[in-house]
Amino acid sequence: MTRIVLVRLAWMLPILFGVSVVAFALMRALPGDFAQAAAGTTDLSPEALDTIRRGLGLDKPIWAQYLLWLGGLASGDFGSSFVTHKPVLGELLPRLAVTAELTLMAGAMAMVLGVFTGLASARLRGRTDWFVRGFNGLLLAVPNFVVATLIVLLAGLYFPELGIFNYTPFFTDPLGNLGSMLLPAFALALAVSVTISENTRAAVLEVSSQDFVMVARAKGLRPGAILRNYLVRNALTPVITVTGLQLASLLGGSILIETIFTIPGMGQYLFDSITSRDYPVIQAIVLVAAVIVLLVNVLVDVAYARVDARVSYG
Amino acid sequence: MVEARPVAEAPAPRKRRHLLLVLGVVMLVTMLLVTAFGPWIAPYDAIATSPNSLAGPSAEHWLGTDSIGRDVLSRLIIGGRTTLLITFVAVSLAVAAGLVLGLVSGYVGGLADELIMRALDIVFAFPVFLLAIAVVAALGPTVPNLILTIAIVYTPIMARVVRAPVLSVKRWDHVEAARSVGVGELRIAIVHVLPMVVSPILVQTSLTLANTIFTVTALSFLGIGPPPPDPNWGGMLSEARQFMELAPLTVIGPAAAIVFATLTFIVLANGLRDLLDVGSH
Amino acid sequence: MATSDKPLLQVQRLSAQFTRDGVVSQVVKGISFDIAAGEAVGFVGESGCGKSVTARAMMRLAPEGSSVELGGEVRFDGQDLLQLREADMCNIRGQRIAMVFQDPMTSLNPVLSVGAQIDDIVSRHTGMSRAQARRRTVELLGLVGIRDAARRADDFPHQFSGGMRQRVLIAIAVSCQPELLIADEPTTALDVTVQAQILRLLLRLRQELGMALMLITHDFGVIAGMVERVYVMLDGQIVESGAVDDIFARPQHDYTRALLDAVPRLESAGRTRS
Repeated sequence: MTRIVLVRLAWMLPILFGVSVVAFALMRALPGDFAQAAAGTTDLSPEALDTIRRGLGLDKPIWAQYLLWLGGLASGDFGSSFVTHKPVLGELLPRLAVTAELTLMAGAMAMVLGVFTGLASARLRGRTDWFVRGFNGLLLAVPNFVVATLIVLLAGLYFPELGIFNYTPFFTDPLGNLGSMLLPAFALALAVSVTISENTRAAVLEVSSQDFVMVARAKGLRPGAILRNYLVRNALTPVITVTGLQLASLLGGSILIETIFTIPGMGQYLFDSITSRDYPVIQAIVLVAAVIVLLVNVLVDVAYARVDARVSYG
Repeated sequence: MVEARPVAEAPAPRKRRHLLLVLGVVMLVTMLLVTAFGPWIAPYDAIATSPNSLAGPSAEHWLGTDSIGRDVLSRLIIGGRTTLLITFVAVSLAVAAGLVLGLVSGYVGGLADELIMRALDIVFAFPVFLLAIAVVAALGPTVPNLILTIAIVYTPIMARVVRAPVLSVKRWDHVEAARSVGVGELRIAIVHVLPMVVSPILVQTSLTLANTIFTVTALSFLGIGPPPPDPNWGGMLSEARQFMELAPLTVIGPAAAIVFATLTFIVLANGLRDLLDVGSH
Repeated sequence: MATSDKPLLQVQRLSAQFTRDGVVSQVVKGISFDIAAGEAVGFVGESGCGKSVTARAMMRLAPEGSSVELGGEVRFDGQDLLQLREADMCNIRGQRIAMVFQDPMTSLNPVLSVGAQIDDIVSRHTGMSRAQARRRTVELLGLVGIRDAARRADDFPHQFSGGMRQRVLIAIAVSCQPELLIADEPTTALDVTVQAQILRLLLRLRQELGMALMLITHDFGVIAGMVERVYVMLDGQIVESGAVDDIFARPQHDYTRALLDAVPRLESAGRTRS
């Protein structure tokens, strides 16, 4: 068991390394002068620019810069924002928390929706199946930012009392916070729920044709008990792992959703920093996002391997 | 994001096999024709402003006008050109790169395989959209950069889709037999391996086209897509947000265009899958 | 041989047809047979002859995704099973008629402990509490020859060998002391050495619990010493039937002869089984 975890982590290391190199390189591959961007103005004497350059370590060879940057990361120094001149990490963490909340809510909604419709589709067959799958197919064609914009439009047209853009922080007003996150999370969840629904459906169909389900029926167990303990429990494991792998998609989508619903999360922070050319921030966000996705993927892999041990010997 | 649908079912019945494909082709051809002949079909100049702003649908403006009086329909038609151009070129590059990498990786195996797969895993580790944003932000939002970014981002999945059948075909008995008799590697590659790769690649290409529409329009929605003044669907959607209650068509128009384009490729993907009977991995 | 004048199971003109995706498969064409209480009867025939379909039709267990058409009568203790509501049939399955299937490697739920899979049938058909059901489970595991039963009850299927898993499945089948046990190719998927053990187990349980046994197999060698009467099936029909000794000594039908010939004789070079 621990061996599997270690193997997976070891596999992750070269990728992490590559990820860090890419994140670092991205911001060094800019047109224009990094030092200039750091200064924020073009109105500088060459000496002043030089001082800035030395301060940022830009006079050193590129690999030395990379190592310095890496070392900084290890001690929590993600650089300072070009805009606010405050440490990036401090600005990033609260926003990361907000995005985490949005993403988790969306993930939970997607799971509930997806599992429910997938189950209905697999067990009820016939018209329900057709309807669900057709709807899913159509839903896939509507990108999440289009859904979100349409939601805002509908709300504006028919429910103007519903203050859409009134995000409140969690600790100020927990209930209000959750309420304001509902629609955004829903918009984000919709596309992911389709994948979960299809996977659930396939998994349930696959499991229903297994011998042990036939045995369960021959035992005279009630249909509800068979559904819970034999069908769903076996079908759910692949579904949960697939959901975990949707995290990357959720994180990417959060940028758009946060922008549309004016939610101060990591995604919106990324967008703002692109507009204001705040490169240390962009770098940090890209790195953090990739690392989170990697970690979750490893977790999912490990969890699956654990369950798989039971199933693959069977 | 659009993914390959997991399959645990019998192949579709004969009739249905061709329906989706035909539908997809019809949709695709319609889109291509409309955008190709766009400048001649569009009733107005897409960037011409007019004082008639936020107008509703009328005989002069079928889909109304936007906040500075530009004709929505014309902008949709012209906007499609850039979007589709970027989409097709970028995905073609991704397919080409993926084919080469996947074939080399799968066929040669060993260290080359390891290295290539690791490198691709690194790209894979980033959330697609985040990576696209970061790269475009770094390089600057021009059309060539967008094409390059998207090609990079989607190459890994293409390579994987190519590599899988290559790996399995390599081990087939009659391929081994052919090799032992002295049949050249290249001939083996062409005769045995390539046919196995075609089907999954076709399906994946359609899926990736759908995903690319999403990425391109999302990037332009955020303002880092093709630069103005040329219209693009994502940008239109974003601009429309300001006054959308006054002129809903400014939102619905681009939304419908995006959905139509995405749906075209999804239908094509499913149609191809039904036709070629490709299970998912 | 019947212990009472009315057979426990009386099947008349049973016909069954499973259809999946428009493809008709597996047909039973109007067969009739009976089984007396406590009697052991064998059903022999090659794959595809309809013997397994017969069992599933009786239990009304159509494979997932298939539709089924049934005709005729299946009288169990006087009641026609084919006319029962599904809910009533559910009560009979596992409790009065139980079944053991062919492949022990895929017949157990991988995510539940074996104990849980016996607990659930026990509590389903009796009113026992969880603790009582678990005691019964451990008792059953011991009955089928699983050592260290109390501890093993918490183990998962993948921690058992094929032969042990089949024992667990037999424990499940006899847990509620059914009147009829249907064993569908119970040893086919097992190693030769284990086959004999399982057959002996079935024999012993049958004697101890007084169950009727319907033993389905393609191998006449398995039938020997296990049953009193035999039905031979070919192509969805019964082509011959009779007392087991009579069949062995004087097979009437060509097909029966062919099946018997397929079994290596005991007289030749020691005890080798195919």
